[in-house]
Amino acid sequence: MRSAGVIASFIKKEFRQITRSREMLIVLFAMPAVQLLVMGFAVTNEVKNLRLGILDYDRSASSRDLVNSFDSGDRFQLVQVSESDNAAELISSWKTQLVLVIPPDFGADYQTGRKSSLQLVLDGIDGNSAAVANSYAAGMIADFQQRQSNPGLHRAPLPGRNSGIQLISQMSFNPDLKSSLNTIPGIIAILVTVTSMMLSAISLVKEKELGTLEQLMVTPVKKYQLMAGKLIPYLIITLAQLQVAIVLAGLIFGLQLAGSYLTLILFSVIYLFTSLGLGILISSRVASQQQAMFFSWFIMVVFILLSGFFVPIRNMPKTIQWISFINPLSHYMTVLREIVIKGSSLAQLSRELWILSGNGLLIFGFSVLSFRKRV
Amino acid sequence: MIHTSHLVKQFGSFKAVDEINLEIGRGEIFGFLGANGAGKTTTIRMLSGLLKPSSGEIRIDDLDIVRHSEQIKHKLGYMSQKFSLYPDLKAVENLQFYAGIYRVPFEPALKRLEPLLEQFGLSSILNTLTQDLPMGYKQRLSLVAALMHDPPLVFLDEPTSGVDPQARREFWQVINDLANLGKTIIVSTHFMDEAEYCHRVIIMQDGREVALGNPAELKTKHGSANMQELFLKVLGVSDAKL
Repeated sequence: MRSAGVIASFIKKEFRQITRSREMLIVLFAMPAVQLLVMGFAVTNEVKNLRLGILDYDRSASSRDLVNSFDSGDRFQLVQVSESDNAAELISSWKTQLVLVIPPDFGADYQTGRKSSLQLVLDGIDGNSAAVANSYAAGMIADFQQRQSNPGLHRAPLPGRNSGIQLISQMSFNPDLKSSLNTIPGIIAILVTVTSMMLSAISLVKEKELGTLEQLMVTPVKKYQLMAGKLIPYLIITLAQLQVAIVLAGLIFGLQLAGSYLTLILFSVIYLFTSLGLGILISSRVASQQQAMFFSWFIMVVFILLSGFFVPIRNMPKTIQWISFINPLSHYMTVLREIVIKGSSLAQLSRELWILSGNGLLIFGFSVLSFRKRV
Repeated sequence: MIHTSHLVKQFGSFKAVDEINLEIGRGEIFGFLGANGAGKTTTIRMLSGLLKPSSGEIRIDDLDIVRHSEQIKHKLGYMSQKFSLYPDLKAVENLQFYAGIYRVPFEPALKRLEPLLEQFGLSSILNTLTQDLPMGYKQRLSLVAALMHDPPLVFLDEPTSGVDPQARREFWQVINDLANLGKTIIVSTHFMDEAEYCHRVIIMQDGREVALGNPAELKTKHGSANMQELFLKVLGVSDAKL
């Protein structure tokens, strides 16, 4: 009980210091808004308004029908090209992002049931976008094929044709494949990490630099009181920031929390043991605030790159996937996405719960021990 | 109040403090004199529990400093060489914080220290941010903060460095008053005129004691007119060399 008073004194002091520093308030509450806005709109895998050139060497009813189907909707934007143009040149001169080549006799071959082919030339520099564009185009062509064989269109289905399987894909949870639904929880996870780790990484070393840590060491303050007095305020501030980010995401991107708010907070608190623990570990080992910043940035860049935020973890080499598996940010990001978008329950996320708890226990425990030795 | 025997602090092969034996009584103002690197600060840091002795014993109020560190910490106030209050807190908030971590009720403590705040001219600046205070005020505020829990033993490590002569005089007046209240004051300084205020001083060189005693008696013993002369004499530096 008496210990609670000491910790309360620390908490009061930390809050006073933070609220008195305008820079700190900006970092804590304005930065999330800016990051959410900039990254939420900028980090997108959505492929829209693809500049498509169609080299139609066939000029039949079928080919015109195919061209028309690409012309509808906002995924493709038809660019005027002439038959004398070369597909590769169109792409390298940035006139188009992809070119569809319809060979002569395409219509005739198609109608008579002979093997007909189309060529799609894509700009492969950005592999992800190219893959998405490719699948859009394939979808269009499949649609076209479907329509052509539709008896309602007075074209008799040809024997041996279209007996195949029609794949109807349904995009669950995110029917429009809105990229923001995926990126926003990721940004929120990164924000939570950055704030908590920075705050705790600076905390002790700042007092070391000021000389106040030495002053504290002559007082009867116990190490756990010092640590709790520092980390509890940071925990509260980070949770407040999380709250601000969720509200902003709702206002700006219309993001609705599909799952339970309590589950979200529970996971966040568990995750914060890891990130605050790492921060305090850094803080008790470095000699200056500069070093603390350097180390926490280094860790964060690795965390973020291996989190699946920019590149899906599945696309990484196996060894890197293993490293990602021990990256707590990657799990926290997954959890946020699942809760926010799918509304997954605690039971469904039990694997992540175990991993994050284990992580937190390990890292926080280690930093407490190391803190006792070092300070 | 303080008892040390065969106190040694070794950093690698360098003996910062070598065989210091002290017996300091209650209400005494005890000064540590010496050049930079003579071992004053290291000794004070050991006495205040910030550094562990390499060997030897320290007892404070008959309590072993290693085994009873918690109890001892409640008994001592410490004002470091480096100003160490929070610059982004108001003066009064700093005091509140230290009262809080010593678990003493703030209002009564402030009331008790009111005459001192008055004497130091701090009463009117309690709501100023500490970083905006002039150096002399910060120093005085540090002392008040170190007294929040009314410790019987106060360590002052070069408390008056960077303070003007007028303020230093006032500061020593307060130290004297504190000793009269029965507090034991351990102070380190390199101002020789300040040594005159001490009841007893120890002059250190290379971690060892070269002289120990009452300033007046030491002067008579060594036939020196003032502390400056005495200091140089016991250190074996002749005036001619300076």
